[in-house]
Amino acid sequence: MKKIISPSRKDERLLIKRLIDGEAQAFEFVVAEYHNIMLSVARAIVGEAFADEVVQEAWMAAIKALPKFEARSSLKTWLLHIVSNGAKSRVRRENRQTSLDDGWEAEPADKFDHSGHRYDDVIPWETATPEALLANDQLQTIIDECFQQLPSVQRAVLSMYELEGIKMDEICNILDITSSNARVLLHRARTTLHHSIEKYQDK
Amino acid sequence: MAECKDIAEEASNLLDGDLSLRKQIGLYLHLFYCSCCRNYMQQLKQTISTISVLRPTEKDDTDKSALAKQLQELSKKQH
Repeated sequence: MKKIISPSRKDERLLIKRLIDGEAQAFEFVVAEYHNIMLSVARAIVGEAFADEVVQEAWMAAIKALPKFEARSSLKTWLLHIVSNGAKSRVRRENRQTSLDDGWEAEPADKFDHSGHRYDDVIPWETATPEALLANDQLQTIIDECFQQLPSVQRAVLSMYELEGIKMDEICNILDITSSNARVLLHRARTTLHHSIEKYQDK
Repeated sequence: MAECKDIAEEASNLLDGDLSLRKQIGLYLHLFYCSCCRNYMQQLKQTISTISVLRPTEKDDTDKSALAKQLQELSKKQH
Protein backbone atom coordinates (compact mmCIF):
# COMPACT_ATOMS: atom_id res chain seq x y z
CA MET A 1 0.00 0.00 0.00
CA LYS A 2 2.99 2.30 0.44
CA LYS A 3 3.19 4.96 -2.21
CA ILE A 4 6.73 6.19 -1.92
CA ILE A 5 8.07 7.56 -5.15
CA SER A 6 11.77 8.32 -5.11
CA PRO A 7 13.42 9.94 -8.12
CA SER A 8 16.03 7.76 -9.81
CA ARG A 9 19.69 8.72 -9.52
CA LYS A 10 19.59 9.91 -13.14
CA ASP A 11 16.57 12.14 -12.49
CA GLU A 12 18.24 13.44 -9.39
CA ARG A 13 21.46 14.34 -11.24
CA LEU A 14 19.33 16.24 -13.73
CA LEU A 15 17.45 17.98 -10.93
CA ILE A 16 20.71 19.06 -9.29
CA LYS A 17 22.02 20.37 -12.59
CA ARG A 18 18.83 22.39 -13.03
CA LEU A 19 19.23 23.77 -9.50
CA ILE A 20 22.82 24.81 -10.18
CA ASP A 21 21.64 26.39 -13.44
CA GLY A 22 19.11 28.39 -11.37
CA GLU A 23 15.90 27.06 -12.98
CA ALA A 24 12.86 28.37 -11.10
CA GLN A 25 10.81 25.18 -11.51
CA ALA A 26 13.55 23.05 -9.98
CA PHE A 27 13.57 25.25 -6.86
CA GLU A 28 9.80 25.14 -6.60
CA PHE A 29 9.95 21.35 -6.89
CA VAL A 30 12.56 20.76 -4.18
CA VAL A 31 10.93 23.20 -1.75
CA ALA A 32 7.48 21.63 -2.30
CA GLU A 33 8.93 18.14 -2.01
CA TYR A 34 11.35 18.42 0.91
CA HIS A 35 10.54 21.48 3.02
CA ASN A 36 7.97 19.81 5.29
CA ILE A 37 10.04 16.76 6.10
CA MET A 38 13.03 19.05 6.81
CA LEU A 39 10.81 21.02 9.16
CA SER A 40 9.68 17.82 10.83
CA VAL A 41 13.29 16.81 11.54
CA ALA A 42 14.18 20.29 12.82
CA ARG A 43 11.15 20.38 15.15
CA ALA A 44 12.04 16.94 16.51
CA ILE A 45 15.60 17.98 17.36
CA VAL A 46 15.44 21.65 18.29
CA GLY A 47 11.75 22.24 19.02
CA GLU A 48 9.12 24.46 17.48
CA ALA A 49 10.66 27.84 18.34
CA PHE A 50 13.86 27.52 16.31
CA ALA A 51 12.80 25.02 13.66
CA ASP A 52 11.84 27.49 10.92
CA GLU A 53 15.12 29.33 11.25
CA VAL A 54 17.14 26.10 11.26
CA VAL A 55 15.42 24.90 8.08
CA GLN A 56 15.94 28.25 6.37
CA GLU A 57 19.66 28.11 7.21
CA ALA A 58 19.83 24.49 6.04
CA TRP A 59 18.35 25.43 2.67
CA MET A 60 20.95 28.20 2.26
CA ALA A 61 23.78 25.88 3.26
CA ALA A 62 22.52 23.19 0.87
CA ILE A 63 22.27 25.54 -2.10
CA LYS A 64 25.82 26.78 -1.49
CA ALA A 65 27.15 23.21 -1.15
CA LEU A 66 25.16 21.83 -4.08
CA PRO A 67 28.07 21.65 -6.58
CA LYS A 68 29.91 19.49 -4.02
CA PHE A 69 27.00 17.05 -3.66
CA GLU A 70 28.47 13.65 -4.53
CA ALA A 71 25.27 11.63 -4.72
CA ARG A 72 26.50 9.13 -2.13
CA SER A 73 23.00 9.42 -0.68
CA SER A 74 19.75 10.68 -2.14
CA LEU A 75 19.23 14.45 -2.28
CA LYS A 76 16.48 14.07 0.35
CA THR A 77 18.72 12.25 2.82
CA TRP A 78 21.52 14.75 2.20
CA LEU A 79 19.15 17.65 2.94
CA LEU A 80 17.90 15.93 6.09
CA HIS A 81 21.47 15.49 7.34
CA ILE A 82 22.15 19.18 6.76
CA VAL A 83 19.04 20.11 8.76
CA SER A 84 19.92 17.60 11.44
CA ASN A 85 23.46 18.97 11.83
CA GLY A 86 22.16 22.54 11.95
CA ALA A 87 19.50 21.62 14.50
CA LYS A 88 21.97 19.72 16.68
CA SER A 89 24.41 22.62 16.78
CA ARG A 90 21.51 24.94 17.58
CA VAL A 91 20.56 22.66 20.46
CA ARG A 92 24.14 22.91 21.77
CA ARG A 93 24.15 26.68 21.36
CA GLU A 94 20.82 27.14 23.10
CA ASN A 95 21.71 24.47 25.63
CA ARG A 96 18.33 22.85 25.10
CA GLN A 97 17.45 19.34 26.11
CA THR A 98 14.74 17.42 24.33
CA SER A 99 13.18 14.45 26.03
CA LEU A 100 12.06 11.30 24.29
CA ASP A 101 10.11 10.12 27.28
CA ASP A 102 6.53 11.26 26.87
CA GLY A 103 4.94 8.91 29.40
CA TRP A 104 3.30 6.45 27.11
CA GLU A 105 2.14 2.86 27.03
CA ALA A 106 0.98 0.87 23.97
CA GLU A 107 -2.40 0.13 25.50
CA PRO A 108 -3.61 1.37 28.89
CA ALA A 109 -2.66 -1.15 31.59
CA ASP A 110 -6.33 -1.53 32.61
CA LYS A 111 -7.05 -3.22 29.27
CA PHE A 112 -5.25 -6.35 30.52
CA ASP A 113 -5.70 -8.65 33.50
CA HIS A 114 -2.83 -9.63 35.83
CA SER A 115 -1.64 -12.33 33.40
CA GLY A 116 -1.60 -9.98 30.39
CA HIS A 117 -4.88 -11.09 28.74
CA ARG A 118 -7.19 -8.51 27.22
CA TYR A 119 -10.40 -7.85 29.13
CA ASP A 120 -12.27 -6.52 26.10
CA ASP A 121 -12.94 -8.03 22.68
CA VAL A 122 -11.28 -6.51 19.63
CA ILE A 123 -13.66 -6.85 16.73
CA PRO A 124 -12.73 -6.26 13.07
CA TRP A 125 -13.51 -2.82 11.67
CA GLU A 126 -16.51 -2.67 9.38
CA THR A 127 -14.68 -0.39 6.99
CA ALA A 128 -11.50 -2.17 6.02
CA THR A 129 -9.60 -0.46 3.21
CA PRO A 130 -7.76 2.85 3.59
CA GLU A 131 -9.76 4.28 0.71
CA ALA A 132 -13.04 3.37 2.42
CA LEU A 133 -11.83 4.76 5.74
CA LEU A 134 -10.69 7.98 4.10
CA ALA A 135 -13.94 8.38 2.16
CA ASN A 136 -15.18 9.73 5.47
CA ASP A 137 -14.14 13.41 5.74
CA GLN A 138 -14.66 13.49 9.47
CA LEU A 139 -12.31 10.55 9.97
CA GLN A 140 -9.71 12.18 7.71
CA THR A 141 -9.78 15.26 9.92
CA ILE A 142 -9.54 13.14 13.08
CA ILE A 143 -6.47 11.28 11.78
CA ASP A 144 -4.83 14.49 10.62
CA GLU A 145 -5.45 16.23 13.95
CA CYS A 146 -4.16 13.22 15.81
CA PHE A 147 -0.98 13.28 13.66
CA GLN A 148 -0.47 16.98 14.41
CA GLN A 149 -0.81 16.34 18.14
CA LEU A 150 1.83 13.60 18.23
CA PRO A 151 5.09 14.63 19.91
CA SER A 152 7.33 16.10 17.20
CA VAL A 153 9.92 13.33 17.41
CA GLN A 154 7.21 10.69 16.85
CA ARG A 155 5.91 12.65 13.86
CA ALA A 156 9.43 12.82 12.44
CA VAL A 157 10.08 9.07 12.82
CA LEU A 158 6.66 8.17 11.42
CA SER A 159 6.95 10.58 8.48
CA MET A 160 10.44 9.49 7.53
CA TYR A 161 9.68 5.78 7.88
CA GLU A 162 6.13 5.46 6.55
CA LEU A 163 5.89 8.36 4.13
CA GLU A 164 9.42 9.04 2.92
CA GLY A 165 10.69 5.45 2.88
CA ILE A 166 13.86 6.29 4.79
CA LYS A 167 15.58 3.29 6.38
CA MET A 168 15.61 2.92 10.15
CA ASP A 169 19.42 3.20 10.53
CA GLU A 170 19.37 6.43 8.52
CA ILE A 171 16.55 7.80 10.71
CA CYS A 172 18.63 6.96 13.80
CA ASN A 173 21.59 8.89 12.35
CA ILE A 174 19.48 11.88 11.43
CA LEU A 175 17.76 12.13 14.82
CA ASP A 176 20.73 10.83 16.79
CA ILE A 177 18.69 8.18 18.58
CA THR A 178 19.20 4.46 19.09
CA SER A 179 17.42 1.91 16.96
CA SER A 180 15.36 0.66 19.89
CA ASN A 181 14.29 4.23 20.66
CA ALA A 182 13.28 4.80 17.05
CA ARG A 183 11.27 1.56 17.04
CA VAL A 184 9.47 2.54 20.24
CA LEU A 185 8.68 6.01 18.86
CA LEU A 186 7.33 4.52 15.63
CA HIS A 187 5.12 2.11 17.55
CA ARG A 188 3.86 4.91 19.82
CA ALA A 189 2.91 7.01 16.83
CA ARG A 190 1.16 4.14 15.04
CA THR A 191 -0.69 3.12 18.19
CA THR A 192 -1.92 6.64 18.92
CA LEU A 193 -3.24 6.92 15.36
CA HIS A 194 -4.80 3.46 15.67
CA HIS A 195 -6.62 4.58 18.82
CA SER A 196 -8.01 7.64 17.06
CA ILE A 197 -9.50 5.46 14.30
CA GLU A 198 -10.66 2.84 16.81
CA LYS A 199 -12.49 5.44 18.91
CA TYR A 200 -14.24 6.71 15.81
CA GLN A 201 -15.21 3.17 14.73
CA ASP A 202 -16.64 2.45 18.19
CA LYS A 203 -19.01 5.43 18.03
CA MET B 1 4.30 -17.82 26.51
CA ALA B 2 3.36 -14.48 24.87
CA GLU B 3 0.16 -12.77 26.03
CA CYS B 4 -2.09 -10.03 24.62
CA LYS B 5 0.00 -7.35 26.34
CA ASP B 6 3.15 -8.60 24.57
CA ILE B 7 1.35 -8.35 21.22
CA ALA B 8 0.27 -4.78 22.03
CA GLU B 9 3.87 -3.85 22.82
CA GLU B 10 5.64 -5.72 20.01
CA ALA B 11 3.09 -5.36 17.19
CA SER B 12 5.15 -2.88 15.17
CA ASN B 13 8.35 -4.86 15.56
CA LEU B 14 6.49 -7.99 14.48
CA LEU B 15 5.07 -6.25 11.39
CA ASP B 16 8.46 -4.76 10.50
CA GLY B 17 10.25 -8.10 11.01
CA ASP B 18 12.51 -6.68 13.67
CA LEU B 19 12.43 -9.44 16.28
CA SER B 20 14.43 -12.57 17.04
CA LEU B 21 13.01 -15.79 15.62
CA ARG B 22 12.33 -17.06 19.13
CA LYS B 23 10.26 -13.99 20.00
CA GLN B 24 8.41 -14.11 16.67
CA ILE B 25 7.44 -17.75 17.21
CA GLY B 26 6.09 -16.91 20.68
CA LEU B 27 3.99 -14.05 19.32
CA TYR B 28 2.70 -16.03 16.31
CA LEU B 29 1.70 -18.87 18.62
CA HIS B 30 -0.35 -16.41 20.64
CA LEU B 31 -1.91 -14.99 17.47
CA PHE B 32 -2.85 -18.52 16.42
CA TYR B 33 -5.27 -18.94 19.30
CA CYS B 34 -6.24 -15.30 20.09
CA SER B 35 -8.69 -13.74 17.64
CA CYS B 36 -8.68 -10.42 19.55
CA CYS B 37 -4.97 -10.00 18.91
CA ARG B 38 -5.35 -11.09 15.29
CA ASN B 39 -7.97 -8.37 14.91
CA TYR B 40 -5.72 -5.87 16.69
CA MET B 41 -2.80 -6.68 14.32
CA GLN B 42 -5.12 -6.33 11.34
CA GLN B 43 -6.34 -2.94 12.58
CA LEU B 44 -2.77 -1.74 13.11
CA LYS B 45 -1.90 -2.78 9.53
CA GLN B 46 -4.98 -0.91 8.27
CA THR B 47 -3.90 2.14 10.28
CA ILE B 48 -0.45 2.08 8.67
CA SER B 49 -1.91 1.72 5.16
CA THR B 50 -4.36 4.52 5.85
CA ILE B 51 -1.58 6.88 6.95
CA SER B 52 0.39 6.00 3.81
CA VAL B 53 -2.59 6.96 1.68
CA LEU B 54 -3.61 10.08 3.64
CA ARG B 55 0.01 11.30 3.88
CA PRO B 56 -0.42 13.85 6.68
CA THR B 57 2.34 16.48 6.79
CA GLU B 58 3.70 19.02 9.23
CA LYS B 59 1.64 22.16 9.72
CA ASP B 60 3.62 24.93 8.07
CA ASP B 61 3.03 28.59 7.30
CA THR B 62 6.06 29.07 5.05
CA ASP B 63 5.44 30.89 1.80
CA LYS B 64 7.00 28.17 -0.35
CA SER B 65 7.08 30.08 -3.62
CA ALA B 66 8.85 32.99 -1.89
CA LEU B 67 11.37 30.57 -0.39
CA ALA B 68 11.96 28.91 -3.77
CA LYS B 69 12.55 32.33 -5.32
CA GLN B 70 14.93 33.34 -2.55
CA LEU B 71 16.95 30.13 -3.01
CA GLN B 72 17.01 30.61 -6.75
CA GLU B 73 18.45 34.12 -6.29
CA LEU B 74 21.04 32.76 -3.90
CA SER B 75 22.00 30.06 -6.37
CA LYS B 76 22.40 32.58 -9.18
CA LYS B 77 24.78 34.60 -7.02
CA GLN B 78 26.73 31.54 -5.96
CA HIS B 79 27.22 29.47 -9.08
